[in-house]
Amino acid sequence: MNNSMISSSVSMSALQKKLDLIAENVANANTTGYKRKTSVFEDILNSVQPQHEDFLQEGRSTPLGFTQGWGMRMSALLLDMSQATLMATNLPTDLAIEGKGLFEVAVPAPGGGTTPAYTRSGSFQLLPHPDGGRQLSTNTGMPVVNQDGEPIIVPDGYELRVQSDGTLVGVSEADDTIIDLGRIRVVDVRMPELLRSIGDNLYVIDDIPNRENVVVVMDELPEGTMIMQGYTEASNVSLVDELTELISVQRAYQLNARALYSADQMLGMAVRLRA
Amino acid sequence: MLRGLYTAASGMMAQQRRHDTVTNNIANLNTPGYKAMTATIRSFPEMLVSAMGGSEQNRTSPIGKLTTGVFAEESRINFGQGDLVQTNRAQDLALVADIEVAGAVFDESGKYVDEQGNVVYQPQVFFTVLAPNGERQYTRDGSFRTAPDGTLITAEGNPVLGVDGQPIVINDTWDNIAVLNDGTLYDKQLGQPIPGAQLMLTVVDNPNMLIREGYKRFRYEGPPGGIRQVQPGDRVEIRQGFLERSNADPTQSMVDLMSALRLYEANQRVIQFYDESLRLAANEIGKV
Repeated sequence: MNNSMISSSVSMSALQKKLDLIAENVANANTTGYKRKTSVFEDILNSVQPQHEDFLQEGRSTPLGFTQGWGMRMSALLLDMSQATLMATNLPTDLAIEGKGLFEVAVPAPGGGTTPAYTRSGSFQLLPHPDGGRQLSTNTGMPVVNQDGEPIIVPDGYELRVQSDGTLVGVSEADDTIIDLGRIRVVDVRMPELLRSIGDNLYVIDDIPNRENVVVVMDELPEGTMIMQGYTEASNVSLVDELTELISVQRAYQLNARALYSADQMLGMAVRLRA
Repeated sequence: MLRGLYTAASGMMAQQRRHDTVTNNIANLNTPGYKAMTATIRSFPEMLVSAMGGSEQNRTSPIGKLTTGVFAEESRINFGQGDLVQTNRAQDLALVADIEVAGAVFDESGKYVDEQGNVVYQPQVFFTVLAPNGERQYTRDGSFRTAPDGTLITAEGNPVLGVDGQPIVINDTWDNIAVLNDGTLYDKQLGQPIPGAQLMLTVVDNPNMLIREGYKRFRYEGPPGGIRQVQPGDRVEIRQGFLERSNADPTQSMVDLMSALRLYEANQRVIQFYDESLRLAANEIGKV
């Protein structure tokens, strides 16, 4: 029937999704370790109406057939993993990664046991552990793991120190003696588009054939990457960029609404052919 | 019967087509790599109308030429360069091309007409992708990503092809990779090109021979000699961390939309007038 109506309404729903995405980014402009989400649009389905050979007339520049598009949709959702600014908090349990990598957290798996999740949000806390000592956990209580994949336990009476290469040590509050607590695990996700957000600033990677190629546990931090104790990473949402995008999406939405209105008028005219 | 009734009806249909095309451009204002379309309108073949009879028998006097309708002939794609927008993603690539043809000065639509009236179109460059049906297709959208096995794919999931016709597989993080103007992927840490990894950048001599497939891909329907890999002398650049925006112009689209609507309305009014004439002919003439 009226193709204009279909194309514009389909596109308006895609633009609505983009608006939702911008709203999510803006809402998280102050969320520690939040990574902004972006998306890409694509045009959908072109149908070619066949034309008879007699249509091949002089002056025609394209092959036979009249192509017709049917609007657009959102095709991919991407994470922008770029570095955000670090903010000093002076809390010993706040860690930030400068450079690449993510912290690994053990979250409960659906069928029991735990599964790894990854985060850039380093506002951790020390929670009492049933076997004694205190366990380094995220702000939702999930244990942060060390290089061996085990929870990080700080014995009572010791203070956690994190060195820039990720080494963890405990400093006795009584006599300044130092004990080794291993290293915090930092993973390099080679293909950040495979990260799937599960909320609470945590990402998981679904089952893929060559996981070891995608998620690489870093034995030592590469040059230019370090762990900063007493800092957290801010959100990498830039309000200026988001609002610019908002304006452009909103105007595109309005234009589509106009096209829909115009298509409706045309339909009205067809109906009123014989008043 | 009254010829013009059908002429006006064909006018409404042609304007509807134009409206649909403009709506699709408006819908894709934010689609990277989208190329705007124009519906060209052509009138039906002309015919000579003659008056029959008159005072002298067997004599016809020509009245003039008449076309009996209009139709949307072709949907042409405007391959003009779109603006670039910075995204800072290493896998976002934008093509900037201004390929020269000896002796031709192209206008904004990429066309040159020489003194003999020959038309030359400006060649355009595209990324080459493997379509789901196994065919090579072409796209200007460089918003690529990586599949779990390391294959470089488009946002829709089609593998991007290298010069050897095979998909490009990179099992490293893209932050280490620079893309050179000829499509070579360059390892920034090792300081040397990655062996076997060069994007296939296809130059299409007459881009009008491309048929839009949807999903930002084009299919080539011209002579086999009309496509080639980009040459060192071509003015083609790849900008990494950028995307090419849609080249649909919102202002022009709005004007075209209004014009299509009003022409549709005008044709509708003409039909109403014909209807009124027919009513008079049917009901009023010979009424006693």
